[in-house]
Amino acid sequence: MSWLGGNLVTIVDGVAFGVLLFTIAVGLSLVFGIMDVLNLAHGALYLVGAYLAVRFVGDGPATFGAFLAAGLAAVAVGAAAGAGLAVMTRPLATRGHLDQALLTLGVALVVDDLLSARFGNDVQSVPPPAFLAGSVSIAGREYPSYRLAVIVAGLALAVLVYLLVERSRVGALVRATVADAAMVRAMGVDTGRLVVAVFAFGVVLACLGGVLGAPVLGAYPGLDERVLILGLVVVVVGGLGSVPGAFLGAMVIGQVEVLGVSLLPQYASFLVFGTMAVVLLLRPEGILGRAGGVRGTAGVVPRRMGKPG
Amino acid sequence: MSTATEARAAAARPALARVAAGAALVLAALVPLLVSGNVADMLTRVLAFALLAIGLDLLTGVAGLPSLGQAAPFGVGAYAAALLGKHVTTVGPVQLVAAALAGAALAAAVGWLLVRSRGTYFLMLTLAVGEIVHELADRWEGVTGGSNGLAGVPAITLYPGGPPVRLAGVLYWYVLAAVLVCAGALWVVARSAFGRTLRGVRDNEERMRSLGYRTFVPKYAVFCLAGAAAGAAGSLWVAQARFVSPADLGFEVSALALLAVVIGGRGSLWGAALGAAVVVLVREELSPQLGGRGPLVLGLVFVAAVYLLPRGFAGTRLRRSNRS
Amino acid sequence: MRGLVRRLGTIAAAGLILVLVAGCGSSLEEDQQGAADGPVKVGLLVPKSGVYAPLGRDMENGFRMYLDAKGGKLGGRDVEVVVADEGGGPDTGVPAAQKLLQQDKVTVVVGIVNSAVALGVRDLVTDSKVPLIVANAGANAITGEQRSDYVWRTSFTNGEVAGALGEYVAGEVKDGKVFLAAPDYAAGKEATAGFQEAFEAAGGQVAGTELTPFGTTTNFQPYLARIQRSGAKAVYCFYAGAEAVAFVKQYRQFGLADRIPLYCSGFLTEGGVLAAQGEAALGIRTSLHYSDQIDNPTNQKFVADYSSKYGGPPTVYAVQAYDAAAVLDQALAKGATGDAIVEGLKGVGEVDSPRGPWRFTDGHGPDQVYYLRETTEQGGKIVNAVVQPLTGS
Repeated sequence: MSWLGGNLVTIVDGVAFGVLLFTIAVGLSLVFGIMDVLNLAHGALYLVGAYLAVRFVGDGPATFGAFLAAGLAAVAVGAAAGAGLAVMTRPLATRGHLDQALLTLGVALVVDDLLSARFGNDVQSVPPPAFLAGSVSIAGREYPSYRLAVIVAGLALAVLVYLLVERSRVGALVRATVADAAMVRAMGVDTGRLVVAVFAFGVVLACLGGVLGAPVLGAYPGLDERVLILGLVVVVVGGLGSVPGAFLGAMVIGQVEVLGVSLLPQYASFLVFGTMAVVLLLRPEGILGRAGGVRGTAGVVPRRMGKPG
Repeated sequence: MSTATEARAAAARPALARVAAGAALVLAALVPLLVSGNVADMLTRVLAFALLAIGLDLLTGVAGLPSLGQAAPFGVGAYAAALLGKHVTTVGPVQLVAAALAGAALAAAVGWLLVRSRGTYFLMLTLAVGEIVHELADRWEGVTGGSNGLAGVPAITLYPGGPPVRLAGVLYWYVLAAVLVCAGALWVVARSAFGRTLRGVRDNEERMRSLGYRTFVPKYAVFCLAGAAAGAAGSLWVAQARFVSPADLGFEVSALALLAVVIGGRGSLWGAALGAAVVVLVREELSPQLGGRGPLVLGLVFVAAVYLLPRGFAGTRLRRSNRS
Repeated sequence: MRGLVRRLGTIAAAGLILVLVAGCGSSLEEDQQGAADGPVKVGLLVPKSGVYAPLGRDMENGFRMYLDAKGGKLGGRDVEVVVADEGGGPDTGVPAAQKLLQQDKVTVVVGIVNSAVALGVRDLVTDSKVPLIVANAGANAITGEQRSDYVWRTSFTNGEVAGALGEYVAGEVKDGKVFLAAPDYAAGKEATAGFQEAFEAAGGQVAGTELTPFGTTTNFQPYLARIQRSGAKAVYCFYAGAEAVAFVKQYRQFGLADRIPLYCSGFLTEGGVLAAQGEAALGIRTSLHYSDQIDNPTNQKFVADYSSKYGGPPTVYAVQAYDAAAVLDQALAKGATGDAIVEGLKGVGEVDSPRGPWRFTDGHGPDQVYYLRETTEQGGKIVNAVVQPLTGS
């Protein structure tokens, strides 16, 4: 019990980190599920959100209004960027997923460099909103209030996404398209617009994640790579295309990154990828991934629609 | 177009290709006599990187296994050659063979687990392997020199007891010869029955299995072969740079190799060499002129390559199409 | 479409040939270095892209400021500066150095932030007989086991900057123990080793060491929790860049800043990172060979000139490059070939620098004073105020 008390702050921090990873990973997972596109620009778009926070909050008074403005800007920019990426990757749909992945990698490099040109290469820091700037006491140790707020905000977002995907009509269409796009088209639904909408939604989540995470992670060149790798690992561990999977994966990786590091510091560098490797070897499609639903990403074979079982 | 003209055009293509290949080889061989030492050094780097790209092309273009982790066997080969050069022998061909074996050993150790996965999961696992090996190189200071890298690698000799190769032109010829031999071996593999099996696995693995092929063995074999090619490329890289550090094992190397394969056209092997030349040129010649905006140019090249070169320079035909 | 692709291919091939022709010559001859007449070519190898770009910018500013003050001449000779981008590491830095030597044929190379790059080019500059003045890279080996006649350094050694704190901290904590934290790469290990050696020699005891994954650690909470559990009375750390910002901010957020004093190598609070840390950085005591608050006439003039020219106070990186120009100024007076410059550098006596006077050691590094600095608020800004010079470096 004293072990729990001593490590409670760490476990709570793992939840906070995991929730932040979820906002990044869920968009990645949805986009892959519906389009089989591995969006390697996702990290760069997180960074765009972080720099939006720098732009709107910056050094000045960290009012809630400034954060709200940053959030709204993130939604607008994210939607535009997501739609743009969907349109860019559409012509490549018949050419295999490697091409689409490399296209997004190119976009990531371009976005990263443009951000660096605009904001410089120095590390930028964003203060949390004034009323969240303090700390609370957990099991006798101090813990920053903002990270607790991240947990609350992130969980709210998770619930929202869950409701949207699992309980709404649009969500049902999305899930149907993921399972069998041809059938949905046969029903008369324009899957093209649906795909654009999902892409935009996923990228909006990434940008919002950037705003949410800015007081924790800051903004600097190179952060996008770290975020992308963590996001990819979360999505793969949880299962590509699965929203509950993204949440589970995020929680697992969040704890690995924090509690795992605390318990096994000498292996800290290997824990994240080691976890991913172990999960994939035991369950090749991820914890909640669809069995047999993996498609190849090389080759010019036209996309298969709804592979059996 | 009449069938007779079509037939003549179809027959002329291989002959044209052979002439072009011959001309390219002659030009490549004459390079040291035509260019300065610095350019020869850069072309040597291009050749070493080309071998890495060709190996990756065999793995990704021919066998359909996309990998973002080829920097791992490349780096392992480079470290093996560097350590050999510093402590055991400076004979280039010996380092080359040892590096190829080291790369193949790494591929063999992880490959039997990795090739069970497919598509994106395979890609992620290769990425994981790449990152883990990178971390190991960074931390295993006693062997790899840690993040400072291994400096002071002596110049190679071409045979035991021979003089160290110091002239850029001579080193270029050695690397050219090595690359031609290794790439030639890979090319033979790609054209053999084994290569056809690989293409079958790439295009439709279920059908291959239903036809009675065990797809695991060819995939594992090509994975090890690509690892050997990457290791050999690593030893050639070190022969020129005479320095190796964990940066040579980084994700960027793997991504650039994949870009080279895509630019060049998957499956053609020689296209990957051309793609490698483009990538290295953009990175080393073009980027420095732009005062720090290098990644922007590289990103634009990525995007342009994917759109404008749907089948790369080589324009491989993966299926017979009805259009002429 | 095929025709278009072929045409693009031909254009690309033609472009390739043009590039080759531009570098015409023969690669079967030995390279010749340096021109006898004409301006002296100085190769400035600094990062212009990537995470170290801010340091590169400061270094270029410092070098050019000295050069401009001398009317573009060093040692009485006209100087032409060729700038090359070191990038983020040796995969870009070493080829850039090769190009400076072989294509631009510079007479001397100045700069280098990354230690791996410095070690990687050591053989290259020694074989080519081109002097290299390292203006930042801090690996012990550069002026230690890997020293060379042609490699000189005006910056620092990782171990020395850290070791300067050892005796002082031992005096502060008395019977208490100190926890060490640094990133897990060569510089971090050299810093903690340097501190530990001096600290233990002064009677101190180490509570534990934490080497965090380099470049990928954004969340220090698990390590900070360990520090709290260890009961250490103080912490010594070495961090730079984004990790410095994260560490300092989280050190305060998790409540350690008020209870466990933090001592570090000065890079933790130097330059742009101090602005990003803001008030979280108050009260940290660091050791470094420079602060813009140093109170001597040379520094006061230097800070005033630099601020008016570049819009902000100088950093240690700017001073290191400024001094590189200063020693080159003395050395070039003796001759303009590589070997003459090396002889000139050997003859450089005491350098009157903004950081205070210093001279070269036998290993060709600087023998200098390290200052104990403390981050305090002065005139509405946070600065590294100088507390006292540190002994035992």
